[in-house]
Amino acid sequence: MGYPHKPHARETVLLSKHFGEADARSYKGWVKRGGYEMLERALAMEPAKIIDLVKESGLRGRGGAGFPTGLKWSFMPKEKRKPHYLCVNADESEPGTFKDREIMRWTPHALLEGAAIAARAIQAEVTYIYIRGEFTEPWAVMAKALAEAKAAGVFGRGKIHLHRGAGAYICGEETALMNSIEGKRGNPRIKPPFPAAAGVFGMPTTINNVETLAAVPLILKQGPAWYKGLSLASPKSTGTKLFSVCGHVQRPGNYEVTMGFPLKDLLYELAGGMRPGRTLKACIPGGSSVPILDRDETESCLLDYEGVVERGSMLGSGGVIVFDDSTDMVYQIMRLARFYAHESCAQCTQCREGTAWTTKILERILAGQGKTADLDLLLDLSENMTGKTICVLSDSCAAPVVSGIKKFKNEFEDYIAGRRKPVLVA
Amino acid sequence: MADDLISLMIDGVPVSVPKGTLVIEAAKQTGVLVPHYCYHPGLPVAGVCRMCLVEIEKAPKLQIACATQVAEGMVVHTQSTQAKQGRTGVLELLLINHPLDCPICDQAGECELQDFTFQEGRPATRYSPEYAKRFNPVEDFGPDVLYVPNRCILCTRCVRFMEDVAKEPVLNVSERGDRAYVGIHPAARLDHPWAGNVVDLCPVGSLLSKDFLHKARAWELDKAASVCTGCSQGCNVTLDTRENVVVRVRPRPNLQVNRYFICDHGRLNYRWMNRGDRIEAPLVRRGGELHATDWDEACERVATLLRGAGGKAVALVSPKASTEALFLARELFAGLDWTGAFQVVMGEEAPLAGVPELALRAERAPNGRGAELLGYSRDYPAALSAAETASVVLVLDEPESAVRTAGALIYVGTMLPERAREAAVVLPIANVAEEDGTFVNRDGRVQRYFQAKPAPGMARPAWWVLSEVSATLGRGERLATADEAFDRLAASVDAFRGLSYGRLGFAGLPAPAAVPVAVPA
Amino acid sequence: MSVSAHPTPPAGTEEYQPVFTGQTLEQLGEIFTRYPTKQAALLPALWLVQQARGWISDRNMAEVAEVLGLTPAYVKGVVTFYTMYHQHPVGRHFVQVCTTSPCNICGAEAVVKALLDATGARELGATSPDGKWTVIEVECLGACGFATPVLVDDDFIESVTPEKVPDLVRKYN
Repeated sequence: MGYPHKPHARETVLLSKHFGEADARSYKGWVKRGGYEMLERALAMEPAKIIDLVKESGLRGRGGAGFPTGLKWSFMPKEKRKPHYLCVNADESEPGTFKDREIMRWTPHALLEGAAIAARAIQAEVTYIYIRGEFTEPWAVMAKALAEAKAAGVFGRGKIHLHRGAGAYICGEETALMNSIEGKRGNPRIKPPFPAAAGVFGMPTTINNVETLAAVPLILKQGPAWYKGLSLASPKSTGTKLFSVCGHVQRPGNYEVTMGFPLKDLLYELAGGMRPGRTLKACIPGGSSVPILDRDETESCLLDYEGVVERGSMLGSGGVIVFDDSTDMVYQIMRLARFYAHESCAQCTQCREGTAWTTKILERILAGQGKTADLDLLLDLSENMTGKTICVLSDSCAAPVVSGIKKFKNEFEDYIAGRRKPVLVA
Repeated sequence: MADDLISLMIDGVPVSVPKGTLVIEAAKQTGVLVPHYCYHPGLPVAGVCRMCLVEIEKAPKLQIACATQVAEGMVVHTQSTQAKQGRTGVLELLLINHPLDCPICDQAGECELQDFTFQEGRPATRYSPEYAKRFNPVEDFGPDVLYVPNRCILCTRCVRFMEDVAKEPVLNVSERGDRAYVGIHPAARLDHPWAGNVVDLCPVGSLLSKDFLHKARAWELDKAASVCTGCSQGCNVTLDTRENVVVRVRPRPNLQVNRYFICDHGRLNYRWMNRGDRIEAPLVRRGGELHATDWDEACERVATLLRGAGGKAVALVSPKASTEALFLARELFAGLDWTGAFQVVMGEEAPLAGVPELALRAERAPNGRGAELLGYSRDYPAALSAAETASVVLVLDEPESAVRTAGALIYVGTMLPERAREAAVVLPIANVAEEDGTFVNRDGRVQRYFQAKPAPGMARPAWWVLSEVSATLGRGERLATADEAFDRLAASVDAFRGLSYGRLGFAGLPAPAAVPVAVPA
Repeated sequence: MSVSAHPTPPAGTEEYQPVFTGQTLEQLGEIFTRYPTKQAALLPALWLVQQARGWISDRNMAEVAEVLGLTPAYVKGVVTFYTMYHQHPVGRHFVQVCTTSPCNICGAEAVVKALLDATGARELGATSPDGKWTVIEVECLGACGFATPVLVDDDFIESVTPEKVPDLVRKYN
């Protein structure tokens, strides 16, 4: 469902089936809709069997990394020697992405059920759902749903706790999320050790995204073969994905389509196309941390992990940001760089200083004081910021800068040459 | 080859190291210093500065050497184009907000940012003057530490030291991104007894010692290895002197004793080594007054007093005196009915919680154990009492001693206290910074200290003075060096058997299992 | 930022009133049961302080440190990391407006301007003279399809436009 719009005929409505139904948020309402039957089944299954089913389904992490979920679960120790933990990443802060909030505020029990099944699969006694501090409505809905489900006794001995974040994008990085739960600054950790070996509180931990877990009950219900069959292009990308379409489209919202769906159709058909008199200039398909696609690339791109890589970007979180021809690309790339500069945790030199300097250079260009050498400087900086840090926030800042300079060089040159009026004051 | 040794190649040089060794440590063994800031062998690994980037074959990205363990057959290139570019990138970014303070920064000359920039940095800035540098005012963190945020490279060594080694997390990283700085809660001070180590750990001139502020340039300093005299822990130190004045004490690494650290008490207690009010010539009593004379006459006078000593003799020695001196003082009284004792000033113990067996010890003297092993007693009051009626009393470097005697007082020391004005002979000696010698710490470790500056006037090391007197008495060959003095000691005293200066080196050795020492007849 | 931006209470005149007493202390007790360490209760504890007092002072941080067995410096390091914790008093209504790119291209900056005017706060981060409003720009609020989202205290309001701002402000005034 392209909530808040009615589902489009070409959507494959599974996760978003009950978006907008107030009744689906209550425990009773969810049970009426078939909820918690799969959890009951899972609690009687062997953990290894659940892992096998999810592996077979081809489900991949929907938070941005696209790592095969079943494989991630299988990294947990089979022999239980220490407490195991499941952390649910509901820190959704990737610009352009707003799907997890919809899952939480419309179908909280789908998430709770998926998490509980996952907890069973990885033998986790305790689950923390890390919800970003700004998500006040999803928090309220989740808290109520959790209390009702707990009272109904569906979780058996498993414990689920909500943990509220306090304003840090970086806490969406899985190791930073764990540090935040532990009551520390949200600094990402160096790996190894990996979470499955030593995660939260030093114990074996798995971190999964909200959308990933919400798909798990469906996989158990209809079987992995069914899920695997939901694939329009690359067989390595299966199931459906909620694409958060935003920016310059007529109908922004979340659209659920099968993997491999053409991006062109998503934008022009499902999301209603451009605003009157406007044409598509650029699109970032996977949340702001992935390279920008120009018009041609966008219109020929298939939305699965492999298809977007083929066009030179990444599927990421599926936050589709659409820029039409009225957009000042230089300004928006500056605004993205500023975002990363605000959110840098400050550990790594390249990120801490590089994101700030990148922002400053772009601001100078926008203030009419840019130099030709600035473009090479930005590219050089971006090279230094890529592949050399603890986490990829630094790389994420470089992505729009590098792709922006490559594909919209004329806009930068217009500012530098003075052909375009400055929009900032130095 | 032992089973748990891993073989790898670093810059074309093969090396074998134990399993679990970090690449950065393995590199040291091949003579390669991988540039780094946040890494320190005495602190938990952080991996944040990203300076130690190296290229490892088969790894898709550059790796940080401080957090990568060696693997069998690993091939590491520290000087590949990619690796160097990565490190040059880090240096550039560290310098964009770093002020060009070198002319007024204490760290200049011993600054790792200078060193690595010189080695691998860009020759010119691409940041200034277009962009303003971040500015924050200097902060006073506490008793001895100043924080200059502008120079801070956020390596977090100081934060990790306080948190993981001192176990008192009084420093934090505050804020996020390029607004970050090292912070302290307004109600707290950096007054931990071991806090001064953060100044040493700081690779740049961000954390500074108020005591050392603007006192000397790094390249003006001469360095000598020494042992701290603050307590019985025996931390290894380096004495930094400028024009023969001790201006700073810094820890010298010794994994067996103090690892990489010293406490503030030891660090800041060195001014006494520079005191000018010293006895500069031997003094003998002539006509009721002390007169300066030469060593020959002074030694002859002492020898005469000792030859004529009928009854008891008492030696009141300082637990700060070298082992060699304590031994030779004992030898001087061989054949006499004598008592030897020492007393130690006590203070509060202050452990460094994160390091086992390391503390500022209650016994505030470096060689109490040495005195014990040589047979000196701790019953100072009894010795004082005996001194009153002794025929000869030797006081070795004890200006505070409440000695009273009817006999002859021989005062051997650095300064002339009131009491010593009644002495028959006063012999001037060098202090710990002015001689070579050894101390035995509380754990029985014998450690050498080296001369850092010349002794004033005619003052000589105590071992030399006592050896001269001994020779004048016809009791054996003159000793020419502290080395020889120690050899003589090791030959006679079981507790030191087999040891020598050559074997002790810079790290010292434990004294062979302590054997009760009988005072020789 | 204007000098009158953050009216601070007179220093040191009153005795410190602890936050963790009575019901709040009970709540903290329940929170402790969720984690194997007391330290992990830090973020929830800081939320309790902010809910009770509107902001988190250095003295509050010292209290939290004591209750959790941490040092005040440690707590301060954590507080300064997370941008949602206020380290000084703010207006009665705290307004957060997203201006990151997806909202930016949908007119977010105009919404900010409208809010600054309608509330009388005039400058970002400043408190309006009547003490009722503080307006800041924040990064992505995770509601990009509902541009421009605005958080007023705990109320998450979607699809705000400059036209809707006067009514919105009136509702809270």
